[in-house]
Amino acid sequence: MRRFLVLLKKELRELLTLQTLLPFVIVIAVFGVLGQTLSAVSAEQSAAAPLAVADEDGGPYAQVVLEALELAGFETVTVDGPLTEDTAQDLLDSAEANIVIGIPAGFSKAIAAGQTQRLPSWTRVRNFSFIGNTDIASFDGAMSVVNSAVAASVAAEAAPSVPPAMLQQPVAPAEHVIIGDRSAETPAIAVMSFVSQQTTFIPIVLFLVIVFAAQMIATAVATEKENKTLETLLSYPVTRTAIVTSKMVAAGLVALLSAAAYMLGMQQYMSGMEASMGGGTESAAAASAAAMQQLGLTYGPTDYLMLGLTLFASILVALSIAIILGAFAESVKSVGSLITPLMVLILVPYLLTLIVDLSVMPDAVRYAVMAIPFTYPFVTGPALFLGNYGLVWWGIAYQLVWFAVFAAIAARVFSSDRILTMKLSFGRKKR
Amino acid sequence: MTSAANAPVLEIRGLTKRYGELEAVRGIDFHVQPGEVFALIGPNGAGKTTTLRMVATILRPTAGTITMNGIDVVKEPDRARQLISYLPEEAGAYKNLKAIEYLKFVAEVFFDDRERAAEAVRMGREVSGLGDRLDDKLGSYSKGMTRKLLLARTVMTQPALAILDEPTSGLDVINALELRERIKQMAAEGMSVLLSSHNMLEIEFLSDRVSMIAEGRIHATGSPAELKERYSAENLEQVFARVARDGREVA
Repeated sequence: MRRFLVLLKKELRELLTLQTLLPFVIVIAVFGVLGQTLSAVSAEQSAAAPLAVADEDGGPYAQVVLEALELAGFETVTVDGPLTEDTAQDLLDSAEANIVIGIPAGFSKAIAAGQTQRLPSWTRVRNFSFIGNTDIASFDGAMSVVNSAVAASVAAEAAPSVPPAMLQQPVAPAEHVIIGDRSAETPAIAVMSFVSQQTTFIPIVLFLVIVFAAQMIATAVATEKENKTLETLLSYPVTRTAIVTSKMVAAGLVALLSAAAYMLGMQQYMSGMEASMGGGTESAAAASAAAMQQLGLTYGPTDYLMLGLTLFASILVALSIAIILGAFAESVKSVGSLITPLMVLILVPYLLTLIVDLSVMPDAVRYAVMAIPFTYPFVTGPALFLGNYGLVWWGIAYQLVWFAVFAAIAARVFSSDRILTMKLSFGRKKR
Repeated sequence: MTSAANAPVLEIRGLTKRYGELEAVRGIDFHVQPGEVFALIGPNGAGKTTTLRMVATILRPTAGTITMNGIDVVKEPDRARQLISYLPEEAGAYKNLKAIEYLKFVAEVFFDDRERAAEAVRMGREVSGLGDRLDDKLGSYSKGMTRKLLLARTVMTQPALAILDEPTSGLDVINALELRERIKQMAAEGMSVLLSSHNMLEIEFLSDRVSMIAEGRIHATGSPAELKERYSAENLEQVFARVARDGREVA
């Protein structure tokens, strides 16, 4: 045990160098800065995007439109002149706006007479990025504000006995969602968006941890070969099992550390992203949080434990396979191509489960995917939501079988000549 | 002469190693006495390094026995590793470790006892002669410095048998001389050495006995003086050249 710790300390020292740590620091910093920039950009944009309104009507319904916009928090700037194709550009420039709405003369009269009116508008599209679209999204919002305000005002005149709100939405949905044997009153779309946030974010982290672990250990073995330290290491009075396990534990620890770094960076990026895209979703999310909990869509301690166990089992499988692949490497450079098959094995279930549900796949494909050990960390999240604990336990057990098999092979490779003699040299004859 | 009263540290019988169809070592016998420096010399591909690797427990023999202080090395490699220290020909060191950290790492791997580990590090520090440079990372070391450190590492655990494959390769004359003196001194203090070298001066200076190996077979064994006499040669190089030629003809 003491010698194992001595080896572990050495492995960690070898893995935790400035060169290996720098990327993680950079990732945290870059994502953090990106997130900050995104939220800063969005704050600036919503503050500095006034709506230009060219009011040529001046009637009571034009007034309703203007008041409604202001009430809804739009900064409006009135501009003079008729809004035509020729003047739109100038009006936008003079108001420093991206959207100009024209209220044509006779607007109020026509509304009062019961005629649907068209409000001409011009939107300047400056760029095509997500955040650039906030102008367009806000125009959409402005139109619905205007419509309901005008409708309310017309309704008040036409049918004073009926509350305007009722006329606008005479039928309101009372949506209920059932998941497994739990149910709650919440819109189905909210459930889907809540779940998809977790089922896209968590798998990225899982994917990264497993891949990092594999890379770390394969590199550790290849480095011993390239630096010509392996022969000496193998002649030290330590068991081969201690050599193999110390490498695995060190790589696993560093992989977890790197995953934590990426998670932290991603989280900052995602929260910045949400702040820039969302706006009103925050209160909605808070309101539906209770419903999500009622539906069992939030993880409890047991769920986290099972998720952790599944991930741990996956890391073990990846480590045991990668240490064997690393033994084939003659140099650190060749590690990349050697662990490609392993990467594919991890990438396939990751991408598949991101897009489709296993249950809708044809049987043959489903069994093939279920046979890949790395499928389980990706299906465990949704399985826990659905209360499908059987699948989760099966996944853990199945992965441990894979680990046992490959760890046994790794131990054999390390305690035989193969660790020194085996290498991939296609087409080259042995001396 | 070899039937001394004390038992040999290392005894090898019928040692054979095959890689697929290639027979690298074809049934060799030799032994090393306590405090003796025993050298294997021979042309490239003669089976020297394969033999040393088998003694160092990192290759398994195809046939034959290796006995070290009564321990069957093939059956109990873990016990044998406590007695040996191996310096491979092209050995490197962990580039991210400082030299002193490397010495500490090896000492801790060999000794459970803190006092003994510290003693080994003290000795390694002294033998290496690297002084303050021991606080530098090994990545910054020259080939010569690395070799000195590795040799210091090999002898600092005071093994019963040191296995040295080309110990002074890559060193300049002065450094090589120093290291040879050190090896000789440690052998005088009781450490046995199994050596392989292409440098015949080194072999003559260090070795008590020499085995000429070619094509996986031992062709002659004796003290440098005996061998020179037997082959009526002026120096070991001439002996070497003759054995190397004969070896080819035999094969």
